[in-house]
Amino acid sequence: MKIQTTDPVTHPEQILYRRCTIDLKNGKQKMEDVPCQNLEDVLGGFGRSFQLLAERNISRAYSAENPLIINTGLLTGSSAMTGLRTYFSSYSPIKGSKAGLPAAMWSAGSGKFGCKFKWAGLDELIFENRSEKPVYVLIKETIDGPEITLKPAEHLLGLSTHKKIMTLHKEYDDAHFAVIGQAGENWQNVTMGSVALSTVNQLKSGDDKLRFAGRGGMGSIMGHKNIIALVAQSTDKHPPITKEVKEVHKQVITGGGSARLQPIKRGGGGGTWAAYDVMQPFHAVPVNNYRPQGNNLAEKLFRENVEKDYDIQSAACYRCGITCHNYISEKNPDGSRGDFIAKFDYEPLNLLSTNIGIHDPGQAGRLIHLCDNYGMDAISLGVTISYALSYNERHPENPLFNGATFGDYEKIRELIILSGEGKLPGIGKGSRHLSELMGETDYAYHIKGLEIAAYLPETNPGYCWAIAGGHMSMGSYGTLIREGLSDVDSWVKVITEDKLHIVGFDMVGLCKFFDITQGIGTDKIATCLKSDFNLEIEPEKIKAAVRRAFLLGLALELRQGYTKAEYCLPAEVTEKPNPHINLPNISNPEFMAELAEKVWEVFDKELEGLIP
Amino acid sequence: MQITVSLHGVFRIDRFKLKTLEYPAGSDIQKVIDDLKIPVKLLGIMLINRVHAKSTDILHDGDTLMLLPLLEGG
Ligand code: SF4
Repeated sequence: MKIQTTDPVTHPEQILYRRCTIDLKNGKQKMEDVPCQNLEDVLGGFGRSFQLLAERNISRAYSAENPLIINTGLLTGSSAMTGLRTYFSSYSPIKGSKAGLPAAMWSAGSGKFGCKFKWAGLDELIFENRSEKPVYVLIKETIDGPEITLKPAEHLLGLSTHKKIMTLHKEYDDAHFAVIGQAGENWQNVTMGSVALSTVNQLKSGDDKLRFAGRGGMGSIMGHKNIIALVAQSTDKHPPITKEVKEVHKQVITGGGSARLQPIKRGGGGGTWAAYDVMQPFHAVPVNNYRPQGNNLAEKLFRENVEKDYDIQSAACYRCGITCHNYISEKNPDGSRGDFIAKFDYEPLNLLSTNIGIHDPGQAGRLIHLCDNYGMDAISLGVTISYALSYNERHPENPLFNGATFGDYEKIRELIILSGEGKLPGIGKGSRHLSELMGETDYAYHIKGLEIAAYLPETNPGYCWAIAGGHMSMGSYGTLIREGLSDVDSWVKVITEDKLHIVGFDMVGLCKFFDITQGIGTDKIATCLKSDFNLEIEPEKIKAAVRRAFLLGLALELRQGYTKAEYCLPAEVTEKPNPHINLPNISNPEFMAELAEKVWEVFDKELEGLIP
Repeated sequence: MQITVSLHGVFRIDRFKLKTLEYPAGSDIQKVIDDLKIPVKLLGIMLINRVHAKSTDILHDGDTLMLLPLLEGG
């Protein structure tokens, strides 16, 4: 970024970002410094990419006209903790309206690729058209600025995400990688392909400790464009951490939001996985396709039970003190750490274990490992499999695929392998596609075509207004459990005011755990922007930019043909209330109808004129 | 009065899962939190007889108090 002002609100045009547009059809490149048009452009991420997507009328995700935009946030690669995010934006092959149009989508991932990308001198990379042959893209820092080369990628085809990264790592020093797996290569039959991002831990240990931009099939879009991998090669350029930023980091680590995520030995709750312990007393942990039965099955994956047989190690991304995930390894007979199995993050863990009837931690870990290595979105994959298992439970005489049932590890494993290899489009194209094929849509747990996260929809009506996946783009998923809020007006405020701000993290380049309770419109963020870039921004202005970006996302959904009737929970939730959930029923038809009316009353006014 | 205290997640470490404790009438939730040295920064949810409550709420004989850690994101 070229920053020539201290006032990005009044003079966004004095901030320029370096963008390269590559036409994959002929290899032509255009490198330019683009003046920002508004604060959303300055902050970056989806705040910028969605403005570009709004300029395109795209009717098919897999089309030459649909661009793939890769960018970072202003704080990616900065001194701010968690500043690692890379964003992949495009019209999605899996999320789309019933009218048949694809939805604009972004997906974010950590790892160190984003930093290297930025340190190479690039802020945004746009791919137009598609390459005839498989290529990987080398983004290299030179004294004259970033140099970008398309290289043949045949030797990478058919390799897992991890193997692709390790192969490229042998060739490129001081580089990080963003790759697709076999799933993305088989984009025709897999619309849930993810992008895997290399981590420092992975390159150092040789274990498949990757991070993912999983949601919305951005890996499948990459596959369609015939881009197999991205390599960002640059020297590290850590800005010095000022005492003001150090103070912010102290607040981040000790503050409410990240306290639960800290390792237990540091006085924390032990990572995102600890959500199990909090939700189970309400029987709100998703079990067997989001239908908990009031029993204690979910407890088998409580940490206290897993650690009896497995080694658990708290883990963090590069220079992050939050330490939100855990590595699970075999435990040797002498109690020492054995082979690495997988990482446990709450969402992939639940959706590839308890919610598909798997309660053995080792089996859960192996399924996560497979999903990661094939490069699929764990949420979409887990939920589509749980739909198939639920279908088979209802139709034992005429089951789908290999007849897998809840808890049948071997058969579920086979489904994942076949899906990852592109041989099972019934799973690979997601739960909406499968449920519509089978003519039984009530218990397909997607909203607007995208599978929901590992929080019961009964606990989160806010899912309906999430613009890019249930928990990353509407922070209301814990509200009922945490606060017991059960009146419509409180929920209107939650959705239209408080919790939409979570999307700000997907603009600025940070993880939501930086400050999950308050979002990015805070003094903490203002301090980081001042410290690293000498920018003066009032938190209120940041908040306003985040709101505008969110509303643009909502406007884009409507433009892509979504009707308001599509902003609804899966029918099973409203029609067959689950009596085992120990929480107020806020997903009944009356509540939802009143909520929808009042939420749209707020949003409708602000949506007018957003898209010409 | 007797209060049944149910602890969850990390609060169980070096404490207990479920215990009936004796408290003077008029005690509030905060008294239990203090006695059990529950780390406030981790405390997310308090329920009396399964209804969400706050630390100043008064407990009554026979109540079940559940204390759960924060729930934030996955
Ligand atoms: S909060 Fe978690 S995912 Fe984000 S940077 Fe830190 S360790 Fe990585």
